[in-house]
Amino acid sequence: MSFRKIDIDAFDEDVLQETELYEPDPRDPAQVLADARQKQATVRSALSRGDISSALNTALDSPPYGPNVDEAKNLTLQTVVSVLNSTKGTEIPNVLKSLSQDAQDTLMKYIYKGMGMPGWGDVSGSVLLAWHEKLTEVAGTGCIVRVMSDRRTV
Amino acid sequence: MAAPQVFSIAQAPITCHAFNGDRSHLALSLNDTKVDVYTKQGKGWQITDTLSEHDRTITSIDWAPITNRIVTASQDRNAYVWSQSLDPDTGRMVWKPTLVLLRINRAATFVRWSPNEDKFAVASGARTIAICSFDPENNWWVARHLKKPIRSTVLSVDWHPNNVLLAAGSADTKARVFSAYIKDVDKRPAPTVWGEKLPFNTVCGEYASPAGGWVHAVGFSPSGDTLAFASHDSSITIVYPGGPTIHTIRLQSLPFVTLTWTAEDTLVAAGYDCNPVVYSGGLDGWSLAGTLDDTVGATKTGGTRTGTVGRLNTAAFNAFRNADTRGHTSETVTDTELHTIHQNTITSVRPYEKGADGTVARVSTSGVDGKLVIWNVSAVSAGGLTGRLGAI
Repeated sequence: MSFRKIDIDAFDEDVLQETELYEPDPRDPAQVLADARQKQATVRSALSRGDISSALNTALDSPPYGPNVDEAKNLTLQTVVSVLNSTKGTEIPNVLKSLSQDAQDTLMKYIYKGMGMPGWGDVSGSVLLAWHEKLTEVAGTGCIVRVMSDRRTV
Repeated sequence: MAAPQVFSIAQAPITCHAFNGDRSHLALSLNDTKVDVYTKQGKGWQITDTLSEHDRTITSIDWAPITNRIVTASQDRNAYVWSQSLDPDTGRMVWKPTLVLLRINRAATFVRWSPNEDKFAVASGARTIAICSFDPENNWWVARHLKKPIRSTVLSVDWHPNNVLLAAGSADTKARVFSAYIKDVDKRPAPTVWGEKLPFNTVCGEYASPAGGWVHAVGFSPSGDTLAFASHDSSITIVYPGGPTIHTIRLQSLPFVTLTWTAEDTLVAAGYDCNPVVYSGGLDGWSLAGTLDDTVGATKTGGTRTGTVGRLNTAAFNAFRNADTRGHTSETVTDTELHTIHQNTITSVRPYEKGADGTVARVSTSGVDGKLVIWNVSAVSAGGLTGRLGAI
């Protein structure tokens, strides 16, 4: 049954490339990483003031996506999760309602990414699940569908 | 508010349906290789003909209202045009197929007659749209291909009222507007908001879905000046080409797979959430008007929270949720019905009847549950939907 393993795309001159499916990030990778570091610092200072809403909004603004920005992606994931971890359960619904729809979709991406990290289940699993539940109540199942369909993975 | 008319056609999915001009006949396919033609008898529908020529699943049917011809598209990469003629032996009218030379190497996915019924467009998995017109010399239908810049399967098409422009929604996450001008068939079209010079395969517009979803459905407004498309990222986008002004609505619910305009400022969309939803608006913005499926009377399970609209609002889902959140399994679930009229995904919504003012007064939907439903467009129930959305 080896024919099932043949890469048929190799025989197609006009194959659809991954890069054709979404607009590339206009920033270059170094710039993206610098932005991510900058955001991390801003988020830290917002968190120390206890301003969760603005911390989360900053963390979710223009997220890195696409190839060659793995370091910036991980940094942003850590930034987002640090905000999620330092929010009280009772505050979550109000914080979520202050987010734009774009930011809600982006947050859902990071929640799923966090759930997919090996070994994270023991550390922040319950936090991520709590946010996931509340976010689904606010943004609906449509938000989850958008995360699944979007090729601009964070 | 008139209640919707519900016909349970079969215990099988209805892939697509089409009515004839006076709506006394109905063609539909039950997810197989045959098209069944039904005739209205009293309050129900009776099979009177079966069109079997395809040898793979039928994907789409369209019935030209004036010339009374049916066109069918199938995964066997063929399309047939069926016309009725008198059988001299039996003396009754029979449907005779004419082959269409599509020249595609993948499944045909969608077919629609042009407004003048002198050509039709067949979307396909071969990254092409075949624009077919009749060649009287050889007595068959020939195709010209719209190819560029389509990068993946075309899932739906819709004709502009001027018989030249064609909108197409594709799995490469884009909706496009093409010129399908054919010299032998069409007169020179008048300039439209989409462009002035329109040779064949001119791309008059290309619009991406907001979060990379396949474009399931496209539709021109009645005037043809506005384009709407629904995509698999649970969103619906309305495009005004001047500017362009683009309004995107992100849904709370599951994606739509089909839509139709009912007036210049209103459209009906339906899909995985099993109920037809109405949107209205204009150049300044669009918003949800409500659902046609007024299920308030049907939501009888008390439960804890009434849950979301449509598919997830079931007793079975609530039972699982109770088992999950409270750790107790309730008694066996007997009520597995959804609280919507359609019990599964709606595959197609089409205009059924026009009112006196020229707008569409009723639409028909068919779904995976084997039901065909005719809805009154004016019976929008905003209260039911917002009530339930609020209860999430």
